[in-house]
Amino acid sequence: MSANSFADELRGRADEVIAALFSARPDLLTPVPSDFSALAARANSTPSLMRIMESLNKHQLEIITAVATLGEPFAKSELVAVTDTSAGAELETLWEFGLVYKDGTKFRAPSNLRNLLGDEPAGLGPVSPKKIDFKALKDLPKDSALVLERLIWGPPRGQVTSVKAPGKAISWLLEHDYLLAMDSHTVVLPREVGMHLRGGKIYKELTPKAPTFVGVARKQKDVDRAAIANISTFLRWCEELAHNWSDEPPLALRSGGLGVRDLKRTAEHLGIDEVCAGFVAEVLYLGGLIVIDTDDQILPTNSFDIWMTRSLEERWETLIGLWLETSRVAGLIGKSDLKNVAPLGPELDRTGIASMRRVSLSLLSQNQEKDPDLQTLQEIIRWKAPQRFSAEYIEWTLREAEWLGITGQGAISSFGIAFLNGTEDLGVENALPKPVDHILIQADNSAIAPGPLTLELSNELGTIADIESRGGATVYRFSEGSIRRGLDHGKTGDQIKDFLKRTSKTPVPQPLEYLINDVAKRHGRLRVGSSHSYIRCEDEGLVAQILHDRKIESLRLRKLAPQVLISDLDVNEVIATLREASYLPAIENAGGILISAPAIRRAKARPRPPRVLSETQTPSAVIATSAVRALRAGEKASSHKPREVPRTTANETLDLLHQYIEEEASLTIGYADTNGGVSNRLIDPISISLGTLTARDHATGEIASFRIPRITGVSPAK
Amino acid sequence: MTDGPLIVQSDKTLLLDIDHPLSDECRRAIASFAELEKSPEHIHTYRLTPLGLWNARAAGHDAEQVVDILLKYSRFAVPHALLVDVAETMSRYGRLRLEAHPVHGLVLVSHDPAVLKEVTRGKKVAPMLGLQLDAETIVVHPGQRGFLKQALLKLGWPAEDFAGYVDGEHHEIDLVQDGWSIRKYQELAAEGFWHGGSGVVVLPCGAGKTIVGAAAMAHAKATTLILVTNTVAARQWRDELLKRTTLNEDEIGEYSGAKKEIRPVTIATYQVMTTRKQGVYAHLDLFDAIDWGLIIYDEVHLLPAPIFRFTADIQSRRRLGLTATLVREDGMEGEVFSLIGPKRYDVPWKEIESQGYIAPADCVEVRVNLTEAERMHYATAEPEDRYRFCATTETKRKVAVALAKQHANDQVLVIGQYIDQLDALSAELGVPLIKGETPIKERERLFAAYRSGEIKCLVVSKVANFSIDLPEATIAIQVSGTFGSRQEEAQRLGRILRPKADGRTARFYSIVARDTVDQDFAQNRQRFLAEQGYAYRIIDAEDVLTQNKD
Repeated sequence: MSANSFADELRGRADEVIAALFSARPDLLTPVPSDFSALAARANSTPSLMRIMESLNKHQLEIITAVATLGEPFAKSELVAVTDTSAGAELETLWEFGLVYKDGTKFRAPSNLRNLLGDEPAGLGPVSPKKIDFKALKDLPKDSALVLERLIWGPPRGQVTSVKAPGKAISWLLEHDYLLAMDSHTVVLPREVGMHLRGGKIYKELTPKAPTFVGVARKQKDVDRAAIANISTFLRWCEELAHNWSDEPPLALRSGGLGVRDLKRTAEHLGIDEVCAGFVAEVLYLGGLIVIDTDDQILPTNSFDIWMTRSLEERWETLIGLWLETSRVAGLIGKSDLKNVAPLGPELDRTGIASMRRVSLSLLSQNQEKDPDLQTLQEIIRWKAPQRFSAEYIEWTLREAEWLGITGQGAISSFGIAFLNGTEDLGVENALPKPVDHILIQADNSAIAPGPLTLELSNELGTIADIESRGGATVYRFSEGSIRRGLDHGKTGDQIKDFLKRTSKTPVPQPLEYLINDVAKRHGRLRVGSSHSYIRCEDEGLVAQILHDRKIESLRLRKLAPQVLISDLDVNEVIATLREASYLPAIENAGGILISAPAIRRAKARPRPPRVLSETQTPSAVIATSAVRALRAGEKASSHKPREVPRTTANETLDLLHQYIEEEASLTIGYADTNGGVSNRLIDPISISLGTLTARDHATGEIASFRIPRITGVSPAK
Repeated sequence: MTDGPLIVQSDKTLLLDIDHPLSDECRRAIASFAELEKSPEHIHTYRLTPLGLWNARAAGHDAEQVVDILLKYSRFAVPHALLVDVAETMSRYGRLRLEAHPVHGLVLVSHDPAVLKEVTRGKKVAPMLGLQLDAETIVVHPGQRGFLKQALLKLGWPAEDFAGYVDGEHHEIDLVQDGWSIRKYQELAAEGFWHGGSGVVVLPCGAGKTIVGAAAMAHAKATTLILVTNTVAARQWRDELLKRTTLNEDEIGEYSGAKKEIRPVTIATYQVMTTRKQGVYAHLDLFDAIDWGLIIYDEVHLLPAPIFRFTADIQSRRRLGLTATLVREDGMEGEVFSLIGPKRYDVPWKEIESQGYIAPADCVEVRVNLTEAERMHYATAEPEDRYRFCATTETKRKVAVALAKQHANDQVLVIGQYIDQLDALSAELGVPLIKGETPIKERERLFAAYRSGEIKCLVVSKVANFSIDLPEATIAIQVSGTFGSRQEEAQRLGRILRPKADGRTARFYSIVARDTVDQDFAQNRQRFLAEQGYAYRIIDAEDVLTQNKD
C-alpha cells in the first residue's frame, strides 16, 4: 500500500494519540515534519523504524514479526489466530507506535517495515504461488518428513545439489508443492506449508512476560555500608592514580591510549587488577581529570585540582554521572580477544552501552535489597530490549557499579537510588567517615592517619613521608629519602618538625627528630649549578679588581671562591670583553691545560655537506625492473583504451554496469577525477552498492571503488 | 559506621588502635586468623594472609566467623571485595583431602571434581598422582605425601591430611609433676597438637616450649627425635626432660658434632643434620635409625631448608613444630604449613604478656662522632671494608668501655662481631671473652659463673651468644655486628631484655658511628625494635663520656 493511506490514517488520529507517538518515537520530532505526508514518510523510513524496533520488548517484537507474515490488510482475529490472545493488547501498543495503521476495521503495516523484517519473518518462507493440497501429507514418505522437520522452524531454505535431479525425498516434496525451487540449488518451504506444519501458530511459544527477578536478599544498612566503602575506595583510587601519573606520567601509545605495561604498573601501584585500573583511568578521562598531553604524556589536568577541592559527594556525583552517559565501554579493556583496545584509546566507543546501563540500574532500583543473579538479570534485559541486548554489557555494568559504589554487596545503595532519582543531597557526605586532622606518629618512624585526612594535611604529609598502606586509614613512613624530598620541596628541618608536632596527637619520637635533624644537616651541603665560563686567577687582588671593574659589568660575574669567578656568558665573549678592558686572559680547557688562542675558527656544528643533485645516475637493478613492470602494465591498459569512451546518461551507465557485472565482462569507463579531468580505465566490474562501483582495475591489478556519478561513460573493452 | 578499634586496609593489613577500650577483646578475636606484623606503641599491624586464614580453618574457624569479627570491630566500612576474598580463600582449605585407602594406600579425595581436575592438570602435581579410581578419588604414588602437599599449597589448594600416622616404637614416657605442674595452656597446646596429628604450636619465648614438647611425648609414649638449633639448646632440652619426665640419662642421647648417641629419645642439632660429606648429607640415616613415633622441631622458624626435604619423606610420622613466630625471614612459611602441619595452638595474648614477652625494655642508641682521621680513613676505604672499619673504630671502643664501667654493678654483656675488637675490649675491661673457639665446657662454666653473679661482665662474640639463656643480664652493649636476620635479633634481644626478678628493666645499648653504614643498620634495628614495642632513644657519645667523668 502506498504511504498516502498511512498518512491519511495518521491524519485521522486524535491529537493525544499523535502526542503519544511522538513521545514513543522522539526522532519523528526533529525536525518537526511539515505535514502528515512528511510524518508518514519519516515514520516509514528505515532509520526511524529501526529505532523504534530497538526499543520493543521481546513480546512486541514477536507480534510485529507475526504481522509481517500476514497478508495486507489483516484483521486482528487473523493475528490472534496465528499467535494468541495476548497479541490483541500488544497490537494496540504497536498501533500507538505507528508500526501498524488501520485500514477500516483491518490493519496494515508501513511498507518499509516488511523490508526491515526481511523476506522470511519468523523463519517462514515465501507465499506459494500455487494452491497447496495438504491431503497428500498423509502419505508423506519418511525421508521427506525428515527434510520437512529440518525446515519447519526456519531457516526455511535448504541446499540441494541440483533441483533438476533431486533425491527421492526432495522430489516427492517438490512434486506436491510442499517445497519450491528458488534457484538451481535452493529449495524453500512455502509459508502456507510452514504454517500448516507449525499447527497454525507462528511460534512454539510466546513470551508475554519477562522472567522474574532473582537475587540474594541483603539488608539496606549493610548494602549502604558496603557501598560507602566502595565509594571511598574508588575516590581514593582516582586520587592515587592521578598523583602517580603526575609523578611518573605514562606515554600514550602512537595509536592513542595507555600501553599495557603502564596499565600493569598502575594496577600494581593501586593494588587492583588491570581491568579495574583501566576503568579508573577511563572514568578520570571522562571527567577531563586526566588528558593525553600534546607531547603524548598522560597527565592530570587543572580540572583535577578543581575536582579535588570539591566535597567527596560532589566528586563522586560528577564521576558516576559521566559514567552513566558515556558510550565508552571500559569493560572491553580486559578482553583477551581485543588486544589493541587500550584505556583512553580511540576504540572504546560502542552504541547501546548507556541504555544497557540505565536499564540494568533501573531494574536494580526496582528490586532494592537484592543482589541480582546475573543470568536472570540478563534474561530480563534480553526480554526487555532484545535488539540492544548484550550480556557482557550487563555484566560489566554490574561490576563497574560495584566499583563505583552505586551498588554495595551487589544491591543498589540508597546513594545510587538518590542519584538516579536526581535527589539533590545524596547522603554520601554524611555516610563517609569524617576527615581527620591529626596523625599518630610511632617510634618505628611510621605515622598513621586513623581516617581520611584533610586535603591540606595529606598533601603536606605526602611530601615528607611515603605511603605504606591505604584504606580507611593511611600509614605513612618517614625515611631519609622522604625527608629529603620534603627538604627539596623547600621546607626546612624545623618546619617539618613543627608541622609534625602540630599534627601529631602523640609526641614526636626522639629518633624521628634525630632523623630529621641529620638529614636537614646534610641536605644542601653540596650545591650544584651550571654556568658557561669561569675565570680563575691565583692573584686574589686581581680577582677582586675584575669583580669591581665597571667596564666589564656586562659579564655579570659571581665570586665562587677567592680565586674563582663564574659567568653565564660564553667563553669567547668573556675573553673578548676582558681583552677590551685591557686584561690579558688566556683560555684553558676543562683539564686546566692552556689553549693557545685559536688562530683559525672552526664551526661547532657537525659537518653536514649539502646533497648533490646529480644529473644522471645509473639506476639500480630493482628500480629498473620495477620501471619495466610499470611500463608493461601501462601498455596493456592503453592497448585496451579506445580513443574516447562515449558518454552515457546516468541511467544508461547503471544499466550497462549491471549488465556487465552479470556478464562478468571487462569494460572501459571514463572516470572524472577531482579536478574534472576524464581518464579512461579498463576494469572488471564486481558489484555496485551505495553509489559506488567496486571493480578490479587492470592498470593496478587491485580492487578499487569508483563513484558512479563520476563515471562519464561506459563501453565494452576491446 | 561503628567506632571500633580496627581499621581494615585494602592491602589486607589490619590496624589495631590499642588505646581503644575494645582493643583487648579485638586483639584476642583476630589473633586466630591474622598474623601480628608489628606492635609499636599506638597502632598494631596485623596481616591477613592465605596461610593465616588456612591455619584458622585448620583450627576450626570458618569464614563466617572471620567476616563477622572484621565487621564487628571495624571502624570504617570494610571493602566487600576483601570479605569475598577472605571467604573464598578459606573455602579452599580442606576441599582436597589425603586419606588412607585400604587397597590403594594413599589417595587424594575431593568432593569437588572440578578442583580435582584443576590440580591434576598442574605440571608439578600430575607426576605424583596415579590412577583415578572414581570421579572423587585419585591414587597418590607412595612417598609423595609431603611433596604433594607442598605442590598443592603452591597451587592454592592446601590439602588436609587424614592419612594417619605410624605409632612408632613404644617407649614409656610420663610427666613427673613434683614441685611443679604443667600450665593450663601448655596442656591445651599438647592436646591440640595430639588431636590435630601434626602441626605447629606457637609459644612466646619463655612460655615453656620444652614442657609442651615433653607433654606431647607423654601423649605419644614412643621413641622421639628432637631437632634443635645447637648444642647448648640440646643440653637445655636434655636437662629439662630429665627434670620433667620419667626419662633417665640413659634414655636420652645427644646427636651433635661432638657425640653421636642414638637412644629412645635423641636430641640432634640442625647443624649436624645438614652437615655434608662429599656432597652427601651424612647423618640422614638418623631419621630411619629407630622407628620414631614423634619428631619435634624446635624453633621451626629457623629450620634449615634441607631439613624440609627430609621432612617431606617422613610424612607418616607425627611431627610437632615449636616456635615463637610463624613468620620466616626466608618466606618458607608455606613449607612449614604443608610439611610440618598447620598451627595447632597459640597462646592467648594475655599469657604472653604475663610472661613479660613484650615488657618495655630500654633501647639506647649511642651515636659516636668519628674523629677527622677516622672519617677520612672511612671515606677512602673499599666499600666491602667500610662496615668493618666503622664498626671497630677506636672511638667506639672508648665509649663501650665507658659504658661498661658506668654499669659496673650490673650484669653486663658486651656483644660484638669482630674478634680482634672483642679481644681488645676483653683485655681493657679485664673480663673473660667467649668466642667461637672457646670449648663448650669452658663456655658452660663461664655462663654458669655469670648466672650466679660470680662474673659481672662478659664479652661474647656473635657466634658464641647464639641461643644462650642468660636471664640475669641487665645491660647489653653491642659494639658491632648486625644480628643477622631480624628474627634472630628479636629472639636474642628478647632473651637479654627479659625483665628481671627484681623488676628492673633491662637496657640495650648499641654503639653506632655517625654518618656511616653503621648508622644505616642502626636505622633498621630501630625500626624493628620499635615495631616490637621497645622504647628507643638516641644519645650522643659525648653525654656518656662526660657522665663518666663526673
